[in-house]
Amino acid sequence: MQAATPETPFWNPYVAGFALGLVLLSTFLIMGNGLGASGAVHRIGVTGVAAVAPEHAARVPMMAELTDKGANPLDDWLVFEVLGALLGGLVASYSAGRLKLGVIRGPRISIASRLLLAVAGGVLMGVAARFARGCTSGQALSGGSLLSAGSWIFMMAVFGGGYAVAWFVRRQWR
Amino acid sequence: MLFPLTSLVAEHRELGLVVAVALGFGFGFVLERAGFGRSTKLAAQFYFYDMTVFKVMFGAIVTTMVGLAVFSGLGLADLKAIQESGASETFVWPMLVGGLLLGAGFIVSGYCPGTSLVAASSGNIDGMVAFGGVMVGTLVFDWIFPWVHDFHMSGALGQVFLHDLLGIPQAVMAAGVTVMALSLFLGADKVEAMLARKPPAPADGETAVAPTVRDALRPRRLVFAILLGVAVLGLGTLALPATPPASPSRARVAWIAAPTLAQRLLDQPWQVRVLDLRDAKACEEQRVPGSECTPLATLDKLGLATAPADRELVLVAGDALKKAPAAARAFPGRVWLLQGGFPAWKAFALDKPPAAPDASDAKALNAWKFQVAVNSAVTGAKPAPPPAASGSPAGAAPKKKKKGGCS
Repeated sequence: MQAATPETPFWNPYVAGFALGLVLLSTFLIMGNGLGASGAVHRIGVTGVAAVAPEHAARVPMMAELTDKGANPLDDWLVFEVLGALLGGLVASYSAGRLKLGVIRGPRISIASRLLLAVAGGVLMGVAARFARGCTSGQALSGGSLLSAGSWIFMMAVFGGGYAVAWFVRRQWR
Repeated sequence: MLFPLTSLVAEHRELGLVVAVALGFGFGFVLERAGFGRSTKLAAQFYFYDMTVFKVMFGAIVTTMVGLAVFSGLGLADLKAIQESGASETFVWPMLVGGLLLGAGFIVSGYCPGTSLVAASSGNIDGMVAFGGVMVGTLVFDWIFPWVHDFHMSGALGQVFLHDLLGIPQAVMAAGVTVMALSLFLGADKVEAMLARKPPAPADGETAVAPTVRDALRPRRLVFAILLGVAVLGLGTLALPATPPASPSRARVAWIAAPTLAQRLLDQPWQVRVLDLRDAKACEEQRVPGSECTPLATLDKLGLATAPADRELVLVAGDALKKAPAAARAFPGRVWLLQGGFPAWKAFALDKPPAAPDASDAKALNAWKFQVAVNSAVTGAKPAPPPAASGSPAGAAPKKKKKGGCS
C-alpha cells in the first residue's frame, strides 16, 4: 500500500534500537521496572469481563485476583504505560504522515484472511505471554537486558517459533 | 544510590503513573518510528530480507544493559534492586514453550503484543484485531489455568541471571553480549544485502553499495561506536572501589528477627502476611497478632504460588524450621522465616520483659524500650515506666518490597 502523502521514512534500525534502549533504561532507572504490554492488556480484558459478567470474573480465580475486594484491575502502572504507548504511536504515525485506517498485508492475501490470521495469532500470543510471564516487551526486551536467564530462553524460543512457522504462512507476506 | 526512584511506586504513586504515561509515550513513539506499526515490516524479519526487528531489539537490549552496568558501576543505581523488581523468575519449560508459541503467533498475526498496540493506534485494522486477539488470549489463560497450573510452575529456577550461571562479573557478561550483538548486526546487514530483491546498480563512480545500505552505514558506525564506548566504560567501572550493597540481604527467602517483625507489624501491617505453621491448637492459644493459623500440612492448599506478591510472607513455625517449605518458596514475593520460630516471638513479645539495661548504652536502651512497648501492646500489660533517656525504637525495618514481575 502506497501512501498518497509523502511519509517520513522510518528511522535507521540502529538509531531506533538505541533510542528504544534509552527509553527502557530510563524506565528501569526511574520506575525500577521494565516496559511491558501483555500484562496491561490482560488487566484491560479482565476489566471488560468484570463489567459484563461480574459473577463470572469473581468465580475465575485468576480474574478474581485482580478484582478482589473492590480492586480496580486498571490501577496498575503498566496500564498507564500502555496508554502512553498508544498515544506515542498515534503522535508518531500522525507526525510522520502514516496515520490512516487500513489493513497492512502482503500482495497475495485477502483482507478477510489477513484479519482472521491476525486474530488467531493474537490469541495464541496472549496465551503464550501468560505462560512465559511476559511478552516480547516485558520478557524478551526488559528481562533480556537485565540478563535474566528465563528471558533469554524465551527470546531464543520466540525467534525459533517464528522461523519454524514462517514457511507455512509465507503467502500472507510475500 | 539515586536510582531506582522507589518513591514513585510508593508514596508518590500518582506522580509515578503520570511518569508511566510519559515513558510509555516514548516506547510507542520509538516503536512506530522504527516501523513496528506495520506487520509486513515485522514479518520480514522471519524471511531474512529485513532484519529491523532483530537490530532494534538487540540494539535496545545492549543499550539498556550497558547503560545499567555503567550507572551501577558509578554507584548511581542499585542494579540488584532493579534486577529483583524488574526481572521475573525463571521457569524453564513454560518460558520455552511460551516463547515458541509466541513466535508462531508473531509470524501468523504479524505483530507481537506491544507492536500490535502501536499498529492499532496508527490506524492499522490488522493491528487492532491482533490486539483484541491478544486480550482474548490472556483471558483464555485464566480459564484454562487450573489445568495448566503444574506446567506453568515447572522448571522453576528462581531469579537467575546469565552471569550467575557462568560465574562471571555482570559487566563482563554485558560486554560479551555487546560484542556478540555487534557481530550479529554485521552479519544481519550482510544477509539483508544478499537477499535484497534488486541487486543495486553501481552508483556513478562512487560505490557499488545500494543507497539504502550506504545510508545505513553512517548511523550504524555512530551507534556502534557509542555502544562499544559505553561497554568499555562499564568494564572500566569494575576497577572502581566496590560500593556496598544497599541492604544486607536481598535473598528472596531470608530470616527475620522477632524485634524486626514486631517493628514491621507496627509500621506497615498491610505489607506483611504472617502464617503460623504450628498445629492449629497451639496457634489458637497464642500467636503473632494478625497471623493466620495454617498448619504446615495445609500450606499447599493456600495457593501461595499464585497469590499476589504485594505482601511479604512471614512464616512462623515451632523452632524446627530450617528452610522455607516448597509451597512457600513458590510464592512470587518475598518470604521471611521468623528466626527462632514462635519461641523467639514469645520470649520477645509475650514474656515479661527483662529489667532495663544500663542507661549509658543508648542502643540497648532503645531496644529495650521498644520491647516493652510491644509487650504492653500485645499482652495488654501496663508498660514499665520509661527511663530518662529518649530515642527512637531500634530495629530498622527492612527495605520495602517493590512489586515485581513484568507479565
